[in-house]
Amino acid sequence: MEFYLYLALFAPLAGSLFAALFGASPKTLIAGLVPSLLLLTSFVSSTILLVHILGGGAPIQVEMMTWMATGDLYIPFGFIVDQVSVTMMMVVTVVSTVVHFYSIGYMDHDKGFNRFFSYLSAFVFSMMVLVMSDNFAGLFIGWEGVGLCSWLLIGFWYHKESATWAANEAFIMNRIADLGMLIGIFLVYWNTGTLQYAEAFALMPELPTDILVLMGIFLFIGAMGKSAQFPLHTWLADAMEGPTPVSALIHAATMVTAGVYLVVRANPLYDLIPNVGLFIASLGAFVALFAASMALVNRDMKRIIAYSTLSQLGYMFVAAGLGAYWVALFHLMAHAFFKALLFLGAGNVMHAMHDELDPFKMGGLKKPMKWTFIMMTVASVALAGIYPLAGFFSKDLILEVAMIEHHYIIYSVLLFTAGMTAFYSFRLVALIFHGEERYKLFGVHPHEAYKFMLIAMAPLLILAVIAGSFKMTYFEMVTAVLPATEYHVHSVVTYWIMTIGTQLFVILAIAFAYKKYANSSVKVPDGTSKMENRLCYKILSNQYYIPYIFEEYLVKPYRELSTVLWKHVDMKIVDATVDGIAGIIYSTGEKTRDMQSGNLSTMLKWMVAGTVGLLSLAVVFGLAVRYSAEIKAILSGLGV
Amino acid sequence: MLDHILSILIFFPALAGVFGFMIQKDSVRAYGLAVATVEFALSLWLWFAFDSNVSGMQFMEQLPLIPAFGINYTLGVDGISLFIIILAAFFTMIGIASLPETKDVKNMIISLLFLQMTMIGVFAALDAIVFYIFWELSLVPMLYIIGAWGGPLRVYASVKFFLYTFAGSLVMLVGMLFMAYFYFQATGVWSFAILEWYRLILPESFQLWLFAAFFVGFAIKVPMFPFHTWLPYAHGQAPTIGSVILAAILLKMGTYAFIRFSLPMFPDASVFFMFPIAILAIIMIIYTAMVAYAQEDIKQVVAYSSVSHMGVIILGTFALNVEGISGSVFLMIAHGVVSGALFLLVGVIYDRRHTKMMNQFGGLAHVMPRYATIFGLMLMASVGMPLTINFVGEFLSLLGFYQQSHVLTILAGTAIVVGAIYMLAAYKKMFFGNVTIEENRNLPDVNKRELLALIPLSIITVWLGVYPNPVLAPINNSVESIVQLMHDKSITEEAKSRIPNLIKGIEITRTSIEEAH
Amino acid sequence: MMEIGLNHYLILSTILFTIGLIGVMRRKNLLLLFFATEILLNSVNIAFAAISHFYGDLTGQMFAFFVIAIAASEVAVGLGLLIVWHKRHGTIDLDSLATMRG
Repeated sequence: MEFYLYLALFAPLAGSLFAALFGASPKTLIAGLVPSLLLLTSFVSSTILLVHILGGGAPIQVEMMTWMATGDLYIPFGFIVDQVSVTMMMVVTVVSTVVHFYSIGYMDHDKGFNRFFSYLSAFVFSMMVLVMSDNFAGLFIGWEGVGLCSWLLIGFWYHKESATWAANEAFIMNRIADLGMLIGIFLVYWNTGTLQYAEAFALMPELPTDILVLMGIFLFIGAMGKSAQFPLHTWLADAMEGPTPVSALIHAATMVTAGVYLVVRANPLYDLIPNVGLFIASLGAFVALFAASMALVNRDMKRIIAYSTLSQLGYMFVAAGLGAYWVALFHLMAHAFFKALLFLGAGNVMHAMHDELDPFKMGGLKKPMKWTFIMMTVASVALAGIYPLAGFFSKDLILEVAMIEHHYIIYSVLLFTAGMTAFYSFRLVALIFHGEERYKLFGVHPHEAYKFMLIAMAPLLILAVIAGSFKMTYFEMVTAVLPATEYHVHSVVTYWIMTIGTQLFVILAIAFAYKKYANSSVKVPDGTSKMENRLCYKILSNQYYIPYIFEEYLVKPYRELSTVLWKHVDMKIVDATVDGIAGIIYSTGEKTRDMQSGNLSTMLKWMVAGTVGLLSLAVVFGLAVRYSAEIKAILSGLGV
Repeated sequence: MLDHILSILIFFPALAGVFGFMIQKDSVRAYGLAVATVEFALSLWLWFAFDSNVSGMQFMEQLPLIPAFGINYTLGVDGISLFIIILAAFFTMIGIASLPETKDVKNMIISLLFLQMTMIGVFAALDAIVFYIFWELSLVPMLYIIGAWGGPLRVYASVKFFLYTFAGSLVMLVGMLFMAYFYFQATGVWSFAILEWYRLILPESFQLWLFAAFFVGFAIKVPMFPFHTWLPYAHGQAPTIGSVILAAILLKMGTYAFIRFSLPMFPDASVFFMFPIAILAIIMIIYTAMVAYAQEDIKQVVAYSSVSHMGVIILGTFALNVEGISGSVFLMIAHGVVSGALFLLVGVIYDRRHTKMMNQFGGLAHVMPRYATIFGLMLMASVGMPLTINFVGEFLSLLGFYQQSHVLTILAGTAIVVGAIYMLAAYKKMFFGNVTIEENRNLPDVNKRELLALIPLSIITVWLGVYPNPVLAPINNSVESIVQLMHDKSITEEAKSRIPNLIKGIEITRTSIEEAH
Repeated sequence: MMEIGLNHYLILSTILFTIGLIGVMRRKNLLLLFFATEILLNSVNIAFAAISHFYGDLTGQMFAFFVIAIAASEVAVGLGLLIVWHKRHGTIDLDSLATMRG
C-alpha cells in the first residue's frame, strides 16, 4: 500500500517536472498529455487506497525521511492516509484529473501551454502534500506550496496588469494569514513538544484552555486566508483573472477548501474549545450571506461563481465550527464536484464568447451550446440543493445541523442564503443560456467546446448528480476518525416541514430568477436603469467598498509610509546622522587647521594655552582627589 | 596535511594571490579559477574529514606569536564555522568563474584571493587578536574592490564602508583588551584564546560593558539598525562580485561573532540585552522591508532585503535556545546563498542594460524566460517558501524566539508578509507586463558563464531546503554545546531560566525521536 | 627680619616664569624670544635649586646644571640659525617665518 501512497503523491510532481522540461519550447501536446496521464495514475492509486480504507484497512502512515531536526524539534516528511485524507485525496485527484484533460483543450491555443501544465501539476502535488501530511510542518509546506502555485497560475497571463496584480494580492493576503498559521504551529510546538498530529492532539486535553483558545484562533487565521473568509476574502474574486481551469481546480474545488480541511483535521483541538467553534460558525454564516449578496448583482460570470464558492465555504465553516466535521467534509466533497463543473462550463462559455465575461452580453446560448447548457444547469441545480442532486444531501444537512444545535440565527441566515444561492445561480444560467441572443449585437459566433473537453467534464457531471448517495458509506468511513454525531431532527413532522419548506423556498427563488432574467426584455445594462442607481445596488456591486477601503486605507498608506521612511527617515535622519558625525570630525579638522598658521608666535601662544589648560586640569584633579570625601558628601546631599 | 588544513585554507589563496602578480594578463582568469577551485575542493575535504558527532573544535592548530601576552596563532572549526568557510570558498570560486569582462581583471582576481584569505581567517581564528587582524584585513580588499571597480559614487561609498566598520571594530578591540586584562586579573596569566575566555565567569556588570563594546563592532558589521546605512551605498556602488561576497560572507562575520563571542562569553548580558536587541531586530525587519519596497533600483531592493533578513538572523541568535541559534546559523548560510544569487542576477541584467532602475525594465519574462525562472526561484527562496533553503532558517529562528516572547515573534513574523510585498512588487515591475522599452526587446537570455554560477546556487537552494540535515546536524551539535555552556556559566536567575538546560533535554529528544519512528 | 624660605624662591620663580611666558607670547623679535626662553629656563632653574636645597637632595641641582648646559647649546645653535636667517631675509621678525603654514 505504501507504494500506492508514494505513487499518488509523487506522480503529479513527476508530471510537473516533465512539463517543465518543455517550459521554454513552443506548445507540445506531450507536455500536457503526460502530466494528465500521471494524474490519472495518481487518481487510480488514490482509489486503491480508498478501497483499502473502505474495506476496513488500517490507516497507512509512512515516514519518508527527516526534514528538520534540531534541539528538541524533530520534523519528518511523514504522510498518512486515513479516512479524512483519503477523502481529500479523492476530491483532489478526481477534480484535477478532469481539469488536466479539460485544459488540453482549453489551453490549446495558448503559447504558455507547457508552462501551464507544469504549474498545474505542481499545484496538485502541493495539495497532495497538504492533505497527506501527518504533521503541521508538512501541512505548512503544502499550504505555502499551493499559495505559490496559485500565484503562478493567477498571474499566468503575466502580460496583463490586472492578472499580476491579482496574483500578488492573493499571495500577500495569504501570507498575512500564514503568519497566523505559523504562530499557531509555534504554539503547538512549544506546548506539546511535537508537530505530529497524533501526538500533539493526544496531549491537548491536558493543556490550559487559554492556550488552546490561542492555538485554535491562530490556526483558524491561517484557514481564513486560504479559504478567503472575511476580511481576507477580496483576493478570491480577483483571482478569477487566472485561466478558468485554474479557477475550477484551485479557487473552487481544492485550495480554498484547505482551511476547512485544517479545521476538520484539528477537530480534537476545536472540540475542546467550543467557543472558538461558535465563532467560526458565526463567521461562516456571515460570509455565506455576505458573499451571496455580492453575487446577486455582479456582472462578471466568473466572479459570480467565485462569490458562490465563498458563500459555500461559509456553509462548510458553519458545519465545522458546530462540530459536525464530517458534514463539513461531505459538503466540501460534493461542492468540489458541482462547483468545478460549473467553472468548467463557464470556461466553455468564455471560449465560445471570446473571453467575454458579462452574462448580459450573452443570452440564448442554449442552442449552440447544448451540452454546456445541460452541465451548467445540473451543476446549478446541485448548488441550489434540489433533491436528489449532491447539494441537497450535503447542504441541507448543514441547515439541519444548525437547527439541531439550536443556533436558530445561523439557521435562518443559512436558509435565507440558500434562497439567494438559487436565485443568483439561475440568474446566471438564465442570462447566459435563455432569452434573446444578445451576443449577436457584438458579432460573436459561439461554438460548442471540443468533444473531448465535454467528455472530460462528464465524470464531474455524474458525481454532481450521484454524490449524495455516498452519504451513508461515507459517514461510516470517516467517523472512524471524526466525531460520529448523526444529525436527525427528532420529530418526523418537523423534518418534513423543514425539508419541503426549504425545497419550496429554493424552487421559488429559481422561478423568480427565471421570470426576471429569462425573458426577452433583458437588455445590456448601460448604467441608466432605476435599479442600477439604487444605493444598495451600488454597495453590492462595489463589493461593499471593501476593496476600495483596502486600497485607500491600507495599500496607499503603506506605499506612502515606505517612501517617507526611505526618503526622509533613512536618508535624512539615520544616514544624515552618520554623515553628520563624520562631517563634524571633518569640519573640526578644517577649522583647527588655522591653528597651524606657521607663525611661530601664534603657535607659541597655543602652546602656552595648552600648558595652562593641562596645568589647570592637573590642579583641579589634584584638588578633587584631595577633597573627594567632602565632594561625595555634598553630592549625596544633592541626591545624586 | 589534515593537521594544517586550516592554515593551508587560509594562506593558499594569499600565496597564490602574490604569485598572481607574475601571471600573464590573458591567463589570469584561468589561474584564479584554478586556485579558487582547489581551495573549494580543500574546503570540501575539510567537510568530509569533519566529524559531525563532535561538538567541540576540530583541526586545531596552535603556534605561539607573543607568548608573554598569551597571543597565539590558534585555529579551529566547529559546526558553526565550517559551513561558512565552505560557503566563502564556494562563492569566491563561482564569483571568479562568472566574472564578467571588466577593466583590470588581474588586480580584481588578486583582490578576491586576498579577500578569501581574510574571510576564512576570520571564521577559523580562535584567538581574539588573530580574529581581529583578519577582521580588519578583510576591509582592505573590499575597499579596493568597491573603490576601484565601483559606480560613480565609489570613493564615497568605499570610504564610508571602511571608516564606519573600522570605527566600530576599534571599540571591539578595546573590549578585547579589557577582556584579556580581566582574564589576567582572574588567573594571573595573559590569554587571548577564545576557548580560554569561555571558561571565565565575569560578574554581571562587567559583562554588560564588555557586551556593549563588542556589540558596537558586530552590530555595525551585521549591519543592525540604525548602523545600516553604509550597506546600501556599498552595495549600490560595488561591482556585482563585490556585492555578492559582501552580502554572502562579509555580513555573516557580525552575526557569527555574536555567536562566537557575545553569547558564550557574556550569557547574563545576552539575556539582559535580549529584548532591546530583539526590538532593534524587529525594527530592522519591518523598517528596512518598507524601505526596500520604496526603492527604485533593483539592487537597492536586494540590499535592503539583506538587512531585513539579517534581522531574522539576529532574532534567532538571541532566542538563546538550540532551535533559534541553529536556525540563525543555518539562515546565515541560506541568506548567503540566496542573496548572493540575487546579486548575481542583478549583475546579469546590469551587464546587459547598464542600468538597475526598475522602471527601465518590465516584461522581461517574455525576452529572458530562463532568467525570469531563476530569479523567480530565488525570489521565492527569499520570501521563505518552504522547501527552499531560507525557510528552514527562518522557521527555526522564529520558532526559537517564540519561546522567549510571543508578541515580539508575531511582530517579527511579519517578515514573511513585508518580505513578500517588496519582493513581489519588484518582480512584477521587472518581469511582468509587456516590454515597453525598445532596448529590452532583444536582450539575450542568461549565457553559459552566468549559468555556471546560477545553476549550482539554484541546486543548493532546493537541496538544502528539502534535506537540510547534512548541514543542520553538525550545526546542531555545536550549538547544543554552546547553549549548555551558557546555561552552566550564567549567574543570574533570569539567565538560568531563559537559557535551557540541555542535559535533560537531550534525553527527551532521543526518546521522542524513537517514538516518532 | 623675615626668614627667606622656600616659598619666596618659588614665588620668585613663578614671577620670572610669568615674565618669560608673556615674553614668549608677546615678542615678535626672534632675539627677544630667545631672551624670554632663557628667562623661562632660569626660572625653572631657580625652583630646582631652591627645592633641592631645602630638601637636601642634590638631584635638583644636577638637573639645573643640565638645563643650563642644554640652554647654552640651544642658544649656540639657535643664534647660528638666527644669523643665517637674518642674512637670507634681512629680518628676524617672527611673522616672516610662516613657511610651515598648514
